[in-house]
Amino acid sequence: MDIFEKSRASELFTSVIALSLLCAIAAPGQVASKTWTQRTPDGQPDLEGYWSNVTITPLERPAELAGKEFYTQQELADQEKKAEVPRSAEEIAGTIAHYDFHQYGLDRTQTKHGLNVRTSLIVDPPDGKIPPLTPEAKKRLAKLAEERKKIGPYDGPESRGLGERCIVMAHEGPPMLPPAYNANLQIQQGPGYIAILHEEIHDTRIIPLDGRPHLGPNIREYLGDSRGHWEGNTLVVDTTNFNDKTNFHGSGENMHVIERFTRVDAETILYQFTVEDPTTWTRPWSAELPMTKIKGPIYEFACHEGNFDMVNNLTQAREQEAKAAEEAAKKSPK
Amino acid sequence: MSWRAVLSTIVAILLGAIAAGAQPTPYKAPRTADGHPDLNGIWQALNTANWDIQDHSTGAGAVVSLGAAGAIPPGQGVVEGGEIPYQPWALAKKKENFAKRLTADPEIKCYLPGVPRATYLPLPFQIIQGARSVMIAYEYADAVRNIPLSNPGESPAPAWMGWSVGRWDGDTLVVDVTSFNEDTWFDRAGDFHSDALHVVERYTPRSPDTLIYEATIEDPKVFTRPWKMSMPLYRHVEKNAQLLEFKCVEYAEELIYGHLRKKPGK
Amino acid sequence: MRTIISVAAISAGLLLTALPALPHHAFGSEFDVSKPLKLQGTVTKWELVNPHSWIRMDVKGPDGTVVNWMIEGGSPNSLFRLGFNKNSLPPGTEIIVEGYQAKDGSNRGVGAKLTFTDGRQLFLGGSAPGANPDDGSKK
Repeated sequence: MDIFEKSRASELFTSVIALSLLCAIAAPGQVASKTWTQRTPDGQPDLEGYWSNVTITPLERPAELAGKEFYTQQELADQEKKAEVPRSAEEIAGTIAHYDFHQYGLDRTQTKHGLNVRTSLIVDPPDGKIPPLTPEAKKRLAKLAEERKKIGPYDGPESRGLGERCIVMAHEGPPMLPPAYNANLQIQQGPGYIAILHEEIHDTRIIPLDGRPHLGPNIREYLGDSRGHWEGNTLVVDTTNFNDKTNFHGSGENMHVIERFTRVDAETILYQFTVEDPTTWTRPWSAELPMTKIKGPIYEFACHEGNFDMVNNLTQAREQEAKAAEEAAKKSPK
Repeated sequence: MSWRAVLSTIVAILLGAIAAGAQPTPYKAPRTADGHPDLNGIWQALNTANWDIQDHSTGAGAVVSLGAAGAIPPGQGVVEGGEIPYQPWALAKKKENFAKRLTADPEIKCYLPGVPRATYLPLPFQIIQGARSVMIAYEYADAVRNIPLSNPGESPAPAWMGWSVGRWDGDTLVVDVTSFNEDTWFDRAGDFHSDALHVVERYTPRSPDTLIYEATIEDPKVFTRPWKMSMPLYRHVEKNAQLLEFKCVEYAEELIYGHLRKKPGK
Repeated sequence: MRTIISVAAISAGLLLTALPALPHHAFGSEFDVSKPLKLQGTVTKWELVNPHSWIRMDVKGPDGTVVNWMIEGGSPNSLFRLGFNKNSLPPGTEIIVEGYQAKDGSNRGVGAKLTFTDGRQLFLGGSAPGANPDDGSKK
């Protein structure tokens, strides 16, 4: 029975999965879910539905909690209480010149999220922190930063991030972490396939389950190339073939992601991932978080089609440059 | 019984058998585990409907440097009866669209293609058929539709890919699509619609590796009557067929934002 | 702990771990904190698009001329999930927008606080403590 069951609206109650997460301490990836027996018509454990991966748990363990892997139930209750306060736009976006997220239902307090007794999403390394970058990665990222310095922040669309260009959003991964809002996805299962549709930005990860090999090395993709298989009740998804624009906390195209999806109960999927990239991190690292069932459907998020901001921002940048040039011309003696 | 009656009976039986033999039994697709025709797979249209859904001759392309590679291929139309019943004002608008299609065609900007155009783009799509809904993922621009098989309620707002509801009619998946915006085209030739567009699609298995696709188009603001297009869809039978990522936004950026770039030296 | 995101960091495509990854942002570059706005006017259109919705409204100036403003709002998808739809803010509705104007001084702004003339907040209300979620506008 849920200890922390709250009802603000049909969408807004939380569910406890502390037990399954505690089971995950000893052996990440081996989660007992003997209670979930529902199957799709073709016999796969049923993961179908609409899910949110909103979480209040940080990816990395905060410095002040070093050495503390789990909250006590009271501490968790305190964390949840703190997280009930909607954040201001300034907190989330860094400016007051912004619409209010809460007004539009986009604050994380307005979506269900699973409870998590962990103090960080990262479960391995044991300190709950992303491992150090390799020297090769530091060099690569420094080079990228150098390249960036040569371009102004609004010289053209390529000056902006992939999300602002509406090409792909970072949270889609894999691995999948929650975005600032619309942290919604749909899982659809057909014979021999499982599909994960992200609401932002309507990307569908279609994962074959027939044991076929990965694509050859010359086809590279933003979301990589995924292959899945079932290990008992757990879906294991292996992803490679990322393109060179991939940057998951410093990663490059050699990133290899292993995800595990386990339906814990009607309301919860335990989502676990391990990332490894010997050209980026000194060792692999793993994290986990609960995905919570939400009311569907997934609504269309036609990002590129509605991207007025790109036009407005570039236009303003050009106007500001023109103005600055005009003023400079006035000042210089002729 | 008289010999006349016997003869009549024999003749009747023979005629019945001939009649039955003359009608090929319609193809019955294998069933999914939950008893519905199995439409799962990777499919693609093999026609030039995306260029022009009506009969069209070949013609020069718009980019000289592409030469033959950019030319318009000829094609027989997919519109039943051949004519698209535009209202007079709309026919003029279609001609206007055609004239400025290089800038006005939403496909060029990598905008979502709408329905039914998504079906006959020159790229594959995949049907992932679950018990509760049918998902169709298109390789082009990550376009996707989820088609619930039960009532999803009302659409809250217009969408590029519309709002779909599916049901089974014998061996046919019938999809009712409404709540479109007015921004998609039916092809590169400027055939268009309004936000009153209503499409009814039918996906019917024809053979193990083909479907027949029909789309009835209704739009009282643009057309004088409903009209219909139909075409076969072909299964990708190659081993390890897979949809790949075709994120085309990057290819449209110069077109859309190029005039807003910082000019060198300024 | 609050982290201010710098434009340069996002340009480099780096994720900051202290905050959830932001899908996109102008980070105030489009709207000017030094140009606060308070507009009262009539809704002419509510564009329910992504990544931002837009409220178009006619605002009558002191000299009587009517100017149409375009006010940026959030993604409408969560509103849909909660039962709002294209009819929830019909043309003709009188609203008050407090926000900030675009840097180029055009008739464009971002609505930080949206209310009806009786003080009720639009949609779900703001995040400020004590803000009452608005449920009167659901249709």
